[in-house]
Amino acid sequence: MTLETLTFAATASSPRVRSDAEAGLLELAGESYPENSFEFFQPILAWVEDFLARDDRPLGVELRLTYLNTSSIKCMMDLLDAMEEAHLSGRAVSVTWFYDPENDRALDLAEEFREDLSLPFRIVPMPSEG
Amino acid sequence: MGDLDQIRRYLASEGILMSFNGPFRHSIIEELGKAVRRHLEAEAVRKSAMADVFTVFIEAAQNVAAYAAQGHWTGPERAQAETGVLVIGRRGDRYLVRCGNYVRSQDTPGLLARLDALAGMAPADLKALYKERLHAEVPPGALGAGLGLIRMARTASAPLSYSVAAEDAGLEFFSLTVTV
Repeated sequence: MTLETLTFAATASSPRVRSDAEAGLLELAGESYPENSFEFFQPILAWVEDFLARDDRPLGVELRLTYLNTSSIKCMMDLLDAMEEAHLSGRAVSVTWFYDPENDRALDLAEEFREDLSLPFRIVPMPSEG
Repeated sequence: MGDLDQIRRYLASEGILMSFNGPFRHSIIEELGKAVRRHLEAEAVRKSAMADVFTVFIEAAQNVAAYAAQGHWTGPERAQAETGVLVIGRRGDRYLVRCGNYVRSQDTPGLLARLDALAGMAPADLKALYKERLHAEVPPGALGAGLGLIRMARTASAPLSYSVAAEDAGLEFFSLTVTV
Protein backbone atom coordinates (compact mmCIF):
# COMPACT_ATOMS: atom_id res chain seq x y z
CA MET A 1 0.00 0.00 0.00
CA THR A 2 1.36 3.39 -0.93
CA LEU A 3 1.25 6.31 1.42
CA GLU A 4 -1.60 8.72 0.84
CA THR A 5 -0.58 12.12 -0.57
CA LEU A 6 -1.76 15.11 1.42
CA THR A 7 -2.74 18.20 -0.52
CA PHE A 8 -4.63 20.85 1.44
CA ALA A 9 -5.20 24.29 -0.05
CA ALA A 10 -4.50 27.22 2.24
CA THR A 11 -7.35 29.07 3.95
CA ALA A 12 -7.25 32.35 5.90
CA SER A 13 -6.39 30.41 9.05
CA SER A 14 -4.79 27.18 7.86
CA PRO A 15 -1.64 26.52 5.82
CA ARG A 16 -1.22 24.91 2.43
CA VAL A 17 -0.03 21.34 2.97
CA ARG A 18 1.72 19.09 0.48
CA SER A 19 3.28 15.72 1.17
CA ASP A 20 5.36 13.74 -1.32
CA ALA A 21 6.21 10.23 -0.16
CA GLU A 22 8.37 9.60 -3.29
CA ALA A 23 10.58 12.58 -2.54
CA GLY A 24 10.31 12.17 1.25
CA LEU A 25 9.09 15.74 1.61
CA LEU A 26 6.39 17.49 3.65
CA GLU A 27 5.66 21.18 3.12
CA LEU A 28 3.44 23.54 5.10
CA ALA A 29 3.04 27.19 4.13
CA GLY A 30 0.82 30.00 5.39
CA GLU A 31 -1.10 30.99 8.49
CA SER A 32 -1.96 28.46 11.17
CA TYR A 33 -4.75 29.29 13.60
CA PRO A 34 -7.49 26.84 12.59
CA GLU A 35 -10.71 26.53 14.58
CA ASN A 36 -9.55 23.11 15.77
CA SER A 37 -5.80 22.68 15.38
CA PHE A 38 -5.78 19.11 16.71
CA GLU A 39 -8.26 18.05 14.05
CA PHE A 40 -6.36 19.93 11.34
CA PHE A 41 -2.94 18.50 12.23
CA GLN A 42 -4.10 14.94 12.95
CA PRO A 43 -3.73 13.67 9.30
CA ILE A 44 -0.39 15.49 8.95
CA LEU A 45 1.01 13.89 12.10
CA ALA A 46 -0.39 10.51 10.97
CA TRP A 47 1.34 10.92 7.58
CA VAL A 48 4.70 11.63 9.24
CA GLU A 49 4.34 8.69 11.63
CA ASP A 50 3.37 6.37 8.74
CA PHE A 51 6.25 7.57 6.59
CA LEU A 52 8.73 7.07 9.41
CA ALA A 53 7.32 3.61 10.20
CA ARG A 54 7.45 2.32 6.60
CA ASP A 55 11.03 2.21 5.43
CA ASP A 56 14.27 3.98 6.10
CA ARG A 57 14.23 6.77 3.53
CA PRO A 58 15.08 10.33 4.61
CA LEU A 59 12.32 12.79 5.50
CA GLY A 60 12.62 16.53 4.93
CA VAL A 61 10.08 18.96 6.33
CA GLU A 62 9.92 22.51 4.93
CA LEU A 63 7.95 25.06 6.89
CA ARG A 64 6.96 28.53 5.72
CA LEU A 65 4.52 29.42 8.47
CA THR A 66 3.75 33.10 8.90
CA TYR A 67 1.76 32.71 12.12
CA LEU A 68 1.05 29.85 14.52
CA ASN A 69 -1.44 30.00 17.38
CA THR A 70 -0.55 28.09 20.55
CA SER A 71 -2.52 24.96 19.65
CA SER A 72 -0.76 24.85 16.25
CA ILE A 73 2.56 25.27 18.07
CA LYS A 74 1.61 22.32 20.27
CA CYS A 75 0.74 20.18 17.20
CA MET A 76 3.96 21.20 15.46
CA MET A 77 5.93 20.26 18.60
CA ASP A 78 4.25 16.81 18.58
CA LEU A 79 5.23 16.40 14.91
CA LEU A 80 8.82 17.50 15.56
CA ASP A 81 9.00 15.26 18.66
CA ALA A 82 8.06 12.28 16.42
CA MET A 83 10.84 13.26 13.99
CA GLU A 84 13.28 13.70 16.87
CA GLU A 85 12.55 10.18 18.06
CA ALA A 86 13.29 8.87 14.54
CA HIS A 87 16.48 10.94 14.43
CA LEU A 88 17.65 9.50 17.76
CA SER A 89 17.19 5.99 16.38
CA GLY A 90 19.39 6.83 13.39
CA ARG A 91 16.88 7.95 10.74
CA ALA A 92 17.84 10.78 8.37
CA VAL A 93 15.31 13.54 9.06
CA SER A 94 15.65 17.31 8.70
CA VAL A 95 13.65 20.49 9.14
CA THR A 96 14.01 23.76 7.25
CA TRP A 97 12.15 26.62 8.89
CA PHE A 98 11.74 29.72 6.74
CA TYR A 99 10.97 32.93 8.63
CA ASP A 100 10.29 36.59 7.87
CA PRO A 101 13.55 38.40 8.75
CA GLU A 102 11.67 41.67 9.41
CA ASN A 103 9.74 40.06 12.25
CA ASP A 104 11.91 39.32 15.33
CA ARG A 105 9.14 37.20 16.83
CA ALA A 106 9.22 34.79 13.87
CA LEU A 107 12.90 34.05 14.54
CA ASP A 108 12.29 33.66 18.31
CA LEU A 109 9.55 31.11 17.59
CA ALA A 110 11.76 29.04 15.27
CA GLU A 111 14.62 29.10 17.80
CA GLU A 112 12.33 27.97 20.61
CA PHE A 113 11.47 24.88 18.56
CA ARG A 114 15.07 24.19 17.63
CA GLU A 115 16.42 24.43 21.18
CA ASP A 116 14.30 21.41 22.21
CA LEU A 117 15.62 19.20 19.40
CA SER A 118 18.87 17.66 18.26
CA LEU A 119 17.80 16.76 14.67
CA PRO A 120 19.18 18.86 11.78
CA PHE A 121 17.11 22.07 11.93
CA ARG A 122 17.94 24.96 9.61
CA ILE A 123 16.43 28.41 10.17
CA VAL A 124 16.46 30.38 6.92
CA PRO A 125 15.22 33.92 6.20
CA MET A 126 12.65 34.17 3.44
CA PRO A 127 12.02 37.28 1.36
CA SER A 128 9.10 39.29 2.75
CA GLU A 129 5.90 39.27 0.75
CA GLY A 130 5.67 43.05 1.12
CA MET B 1 -27.83 54.61 21.20
CA GLY B 2 -25.84 57.74 21.85
CA ASP B 3 -24.77 60.20 19.25
CA LEU B 4 -22.42 58.50 16.78
CA ASP B 5 -20.05 61.46 16.63
CA GLN B 6 -19.81 61.29 20.43
CA ILE B 7 -18.88 57.59 20.20
CA ARG B 8 -16.28 58.39 17.54
CA ARG B 9 -14.79 61.20 19.67
CA TYR B 10 -14.67 58.88 22.66
CA LEU B 11 -12.86 56.16 20.66
CA ALA B 12 -10.35 58.71 19.32
CA SER B 13 -9.73 60.26 22.76
CA GLU B 14 -9.04 56.81 24.23
CA GLY B 15 -6.59 55.98 21.42
CA ILE B 16 -8.81 53.13 20.22
CA LEU B 17 -7.84 51.88 16.77
CA MET B 18 -10.36 49.07 16.46
CA SER B 19 -13.29 47.76 18.43
CA PHE B 20 -15.67 44.86 18.03
CA ASN B 21 -18.65 43.73 20.08
CA GLY B 22 -20.34 40.55 18.92
CA PRO B 23 -20.06 36.79 18.53
CA PHE B 24 -16.53 35.33 18.54
CA ARG B 25 -17.07 32.63 15.94
CA HIS B 26 -14.19 31.28 13.90
CA SER B 27 -15.23 32.94 10.62
CA ILE B 28 -15.49 36.30 12.40
CA ILE B 29 -12.13 35.82 14.13
CA GLU B 30 -10.58 35.20 10.67
CA GLU B 31 -12.11 38.38 9.26
CA LEU B 32 -11.15 40.42 12.32
CA GLY B 33 -7.64 38.99 12.09
CA LYS B 34 -7.30 40.25 8.52
CA ALA B 35 -8.68 43.63 9.58
CA VAL B 36 -6.24 43.86 12.51
CA ARG B 37 -3.28 43.18 10.20
CA ARG B 38 -4.40 45.64 7.50
CA HIS B 39 -5.16 48.34 10.02
CA LEU B 40 -1.77 47.99 11.73
CA GLU B 41 -0.01 47.88 8.34
CA ALA B 42 -1.75 51.14 7.39
CA GLU B 43 -0.54 52.64 10.69
CA ALA B 44 3.01 51.58 9.73
CA VAL B 45 3.41 49.57 12.92
CA ARG B 46 6.69 47.64 13.21
CA LYS B 47 6.37 44.00 12.23
CA SER B 48 7.28 42.62 15.64
CA ALA B 49 4.71 44.86 17.39
CA MET B 50 2.15 43.83 14.79
CA ALA B 51 2.98 40.17 15.44
CA ASP B 52 2.54 40.71 19.20
CA VAL B 53 -0.84 42.42 18.79
CA PHE B 54 -1.98 39.71 16.38
CA THR B 55 -0.80 36.94 18.75
CA VAL B 56 -2.66 38.39 21.72
CA PHE B 57 -5.77 39.04 19.61
CA ILE B 58 -5.87 35.45 18.27
CA GLU B 59 -5.20 33.80 21.63
CA ALA B 60 -7.77 35.95 23.45
CA ALA B 61 -10.44 35.55 20.76
CA GLN B 62 -9.90 31.80 20.40
CA ASN B 63 -10.06 31.40 24.20
CA VAL B 64 -13.50 33.04 24.14
CA ALA B 65 -14.63 30.89 21.19
CA ALA B 66 -13.32 27.67 22.76
CA TYR B 67 -14.92 28.49 26.12
CA ALA B 68 -18.26 29.23 24.43
CA ALA B 69 -18.01 25.99 22.41
CA GLN B 70 -17.98 23.86 25.57
CA GLY B 71 -21.12 21.81 26.02
CA HIS B 72 -22.35 23.16 29.33
CA TRP B 73 -24.36 26.12 28.05
CA THR B 74 -28.11 26.22 27.60
CA GLY B 75 -29.43 27.84 24.38
CA PRO B 76 -29.75 31.52 25.38
CA GLU B 77 -26.69 31.33 27.67
CA ARG B 78 -24.62 30.05 24.76
CA ALA B 79 -25.31 33.13 22.61
CA GLN B 80 -24.24 35.28 25.55
CA ALA B 81 -21.12 33.16 26.10
CA GLU B 82 -20.07 33.66 22.49
CA THR B 83 -20.46 37.41 22.74
CA GLY B 84 -17.26 39.19 23.41
CA VAL B 85 -15.78 42.66 23.25
CA LEU B 86 -12.43 43.32 21.67
CA VAL B 87 -10.62 46.64 21.69
CA ILE B 88 -7.21 47.43 20.24
CA GLY B 89 -5.72 50.75 21.19
CA ARG B 90 -2.50 52.66 21.27
CA ARG B 91 -1.04 54.35 24.33
CA GLY B 92 2.21 56.13 23.55
CA ASP B 93 4.45 53.58 21.88
CA ARG B 94 2.57 50.65 23.41
CA TYR B 95 -0.45 48.78 22.12
CA LEU B 96 -3.27 47.54 24.30
CA VAL B 97 -5.38 44.54 23.40
CA ARG B 98 -8.46 44.30 25.60
CA CYS B 99 -10.87 41.42 25.48
CA GLY B 100 -13.99 40.72 27.53
CA ASN B 101 -16.51 37.89 27.72
CA TYR B 102 -19.06 36.23 29.97
CA VAL B 103 -17.79 33.48 32.26
CA ARG B 104 -19.87 31.19 34.49
CA SER B 105 -19.45 32.22 38.15
CA GLN B 106 -18.18 28.76 39.08
CA ASP B 107 -15.37 29.06 36.50
CA THR B 108 -14.03 32.45 37.59
CA PRO B 109 -12.04 31.36 40.70
CA GLY B 110 -10.02 28.87 38.61
CA LEU B 111 -9.41 31.42 35.86
CA LEU B 112 -8.34 34.13 38.32
CA ALA B 113 -6.08 31.67 40.17
CA ARG B 114 -4.32 30.79 36.89
CA LEU B 115 -3.87 34.48 36.04
CA ASP B 116 -2.64 35.31 39.57
CA ALA B 117 -0.08 32.51 39.32
CA LEU B 118 1.17 33.81 35.94
CA ALA B 119 1.31 37.39 37.27
CA GLY B 120 3.88 36.36 39.88
CA MET B 121 6.20 34.62 37.44
CA ALA B 122 9.48 35.90 36.01
CA PRO B 123 10.05 35.51 32.23
CA ALA B 124 12.31 32.46 32.74
CA ASP B 125 9.62 30.73 34.83
CA LEU B 126 6.95 31.55 32.24
CA LYS B 127 9.16 30.04 29.56
CA ALA B 128 9.76 26.89 31.64
CA LEU B 129 6.02 26.47 32.24
CA TYR B 130 5.34 27.04 28.51
CA LYS B 131 7.89 24.39 27.53
CA GLU B 132 6.52 21.92 30.08
CA ARG B 133 2.99 22.31 28.64
CA LEU B 134 4.33 22.15 25.09
CA HIS B 135 5.69 18.64 25.61
CA ALA B 136 2.81 17.40 27.80
CA GLU B 137 -0.15 15.30 26.63
CA VAL B 138 -3.29 17.30 25.89
CA PRO B 139 -6.39 15.85 27.61
CA PRO B 140 -8.74 14.17 25.08
CA GLY B 141 -11.43 16.51 23.78
CA ALA B 142 -9.50 19.65 24.72
CA LEU B 143 -9.88 22.48 22.20
CA GLY B 144 -6.64 24.14 23.15
CA ALA B 145 -3.28 23.25 24.58
CA GLY B 146 -3.70 25.39 27.73
CA LEU B 147 -0.92 27.62 26.44
CA GLY B 148 -2.89 30.73 25.45
CA LEU B 149 -2.68 32.68 28.71
CA ILE B 150 0.99 31.74 29.17
CA ARG B 151 1.81 32.97 25.67
CA MET B 152 -0.08 36.21 26.29
CA ALA B 153 1.86 36.73 29.53
CA ARG B 154 5.13 36.06 27.67
CA THR B 155 4.20 38.41 24.82
CA ALA B 156 3.12 41.26 27.10
CA SER B 157 5.53 44.05 28.04
CA ALA B 158 3.68 44.64 31.34
CA PRO B 159 1.83 42.31 33.73
CA LEU B 160 -1.59 41.17 32.47
CA SER B 161 -4.42 43.21 33.93
CA TYR B 162 -7.76 41.48 34.56
CA SER B 163 -10.99 41.75 36.50
CA VAL B 164 -14.44 40.21 36.81
CA ALA B 165 -17.74 42.02 37.33
CA ALA B 166 -20.87 40.24 38.56
CA GLU B 167 -23.68 39.87 36.03
CA ASP B 168 -27.06 38.29 36.67
CA ALA B 169 -27.90 34.56 36.54
CA GLY B 170 -24.59 33.03 37.63
CA LEU B 171 -22.50 34.85 35.04
CA GLU B 172 -19.61 37.24 35.43
CA PHE B 173 -18.04 39.52 32.88
CA PHE B 174 -14.32 38.87 32.57
CA SER B 175 -12.01 41.59 31.23
CA LEU B 176 -8.40 41.10 30.23
CA THR B 177 -5.97 43.83 29.18
CA VAL B 178 -2.68 42.92 27.57
CA THR B 179 -0.08 45.61 26.88
CA VAL B 180 2.48 44.85 24.18
